[in-house]
Amino acid sequence: MKLYDQIFNVVKQFKKLFSPGPVTNADVSGSITAEIFLIVSLVLAALLLRHISILLAGFVTLILAVVLISNIPLIPKFRIEQEDSLEKMLFYAVVTLAIIVTFIYWGGNFV
Amino acid sequence: MNELIPLMVIVPLMAALLISAFSKFNKATKIFAFVVALCLPIIPIASHYGLHYFGGYAPIMDNVTNVMYHPAITYSFTFLQQIFIAMLGLLTFLVVFIYLTKYKKVSGPYLFLLFLGTAAVTAMLLTDDIFHMFVFFEILALAQVGIVAASSIDYSYEMALKYMILGSIGSPMMLLGIGFLLALTGSVNVTDIAAAVHNGLVDATSPVFLLSLGLIFFGWLYASGLPPFHTIKSGIYSKAEPHGAALLQSFTVVSMISIVLIMFRIYSTLPIFEVLVVFFSILAMILGVSLALTQTDFRRMIGFLAVGELGFIGLGIGLGTQYAVTAGLFQALNEIIITALLFIGFGAIVNATDEVDTRKLGGLLAYHPKVSIMLLIAGLAMAGVPPLSGFQSKLMLVQASLNCGFPEISILAIMVSIATFVVFVKTYYTMFLKPKPRELELEKKEVPRTMIFAMGILLIIVILLGIFPDIVTAGISNFVGGIL
Repeated sequence: MKLYDQIFNVVKQFKKLFSPGPVTNADVSGSITAEIFLIVSLVLAALLLRHISILLAGFVTLILAVVLISNIPLIPKFRIEQEDSLEKMLFYAVVTLAIIVTFIYWGGNFV
Repeated sequence: MNELIPLMVIVPLMAALLISAFSKFNKATKIFAFVVALCLPIIPIASHYGLHYFGGYAPIMDNVTNVMYHPAITYSFTFLQQIFIAMLGLLTFLVVFIYLTKYKKVSGPYLFLLFLGTAAVTAMLLTDDIFHMFVFFEILALAQVGIVAASSIDYSYEMALKYMILGSIGSPMMLLGIGFLLALTGSVNVTDIAAAVHNGLVDATSPVFLLSLGLIFFGWLYASGLPPFHTIKSGIYSKAEPHGAALLQSFTVVSMISIVLIMFRIYSTLPIFEVLVVFFSILAMILGVSLALTQTDFRRMIGFLAVGELGFIGLGIGLGTQYAVTAGLFQALNEIIITALLFIGFGAIVNATDEVDTRKLGGLLAYHPKVSIMLLIAGLAMAGVPPLSGFQSKLMLVQASLNCGFPEISILAIMVSIATFVVFVKTYYTMFLKPKPRELELEKKEVPRTMIFAMGILLIIVILLGIFPDIVTAGISNFVGGIL
């Protein structure tokens, strides 16, 4: 029942996502779809690590699945991070530069 | 007939300047803009394939090293450029036509920006000179900012300013990367740089070469609106006039493929380049569609879907095989048409209702049946439903990723298509099928005929490319075979 309560709580939290304004069935269905899509697609994408190491892929996929499911609802948090604030956009631009540098500096050895 | 190649850039550029200078003559401006816009799709179709050397400086053969050098800025015109420039020209014509009929008094500066953007993106696609590409990339960024700022939508200035600030990070990085390439190879001609890299004259593992990849790649992310620039890209689409947004997204797609093809030719020897492209493409697909699912502003929703679709293009190019790159470029062509159709169609709804919140709309099928049917087909095409054009390119991408040994990517691509379908069905239901809210006034507002005409033209292309994809895929495949 704990997981059921958690999922039910997710639906209740979607209210905040669409405020101000009414929350329709279609909006809640869309948000639940987004939630499931996000978890499944990220876990699926993590499976690509098998081209580097099968053990690493299994480990990362399991950890990612547990972390993502235990943190639902992800979409409201996710939307706060993806809003139109210039500070957040600049922050993620810097994070992306760090990711590119990481890929180029260390990633070349694994491909 | 190769004299027509530079005209593809010169005609819209000159038109932009003349319209801006003589905009006080309203009727003459309207006629001139219409005629020039009509010429834009005709010039690439009438032109022969070939090369154009500015200043007439033909390539020089070094008899000692047996290497060819290109001293002039070179424009290369093949089937790929022809199909994309013709489609861009057609879209510019439709957008200008919608704009000219919408307002009695037209704005010279706005038309200037539309033509300037078209000229810039055409030059980016034609050029074989990386610095020339950067100059037009900058001009394009300014034109995009102007198109957004010129719209009458709330907060459009703010969004345009944010786009410009982020551009002030992305553009210098790209310029620095080009500078490093120039330092390494002594040339800004892409063919010369690629030859130097592939012949071993440049060490592909040197830190400077890798750094140039990182910097140009970051600039490309900004130009194409892949993460972390997906939020601002979808934001500028939603704050531009609908017909302007239709053109803006085509600018994004064409600049994306122009830059990535240049990078592909230079850096394809580095496996990490393809990994980076695939990584950011997958991220764009996941983020774009997830965020589109939670939107209530339908303009923003299409903006995020457009960003998600960009991921498919990147995926094809990142996989790197002839079939995959062909699929990616075919997807780019489809996206230009389908997304433009959606922007114009939803723009027609904004025009008729003055409302962008899906929760406040409903019952529009009875009032605007033509628009709703055309939007339905466009949405199905974007989701990849057969026999429409989106299906053909997405099927090719799924097959390409399976052939490359990445079944996860195939599953992911199918999942993203299904999620796109869900986004569209949800939006379509709330806007067109559910009962009309009482407070929504619809009786006296009509959709402009020019918008329906533009949608009809684009819809015919979507259906034709869906039934006969070989019209373009064969030519694109030949082009890709040439650069691989």
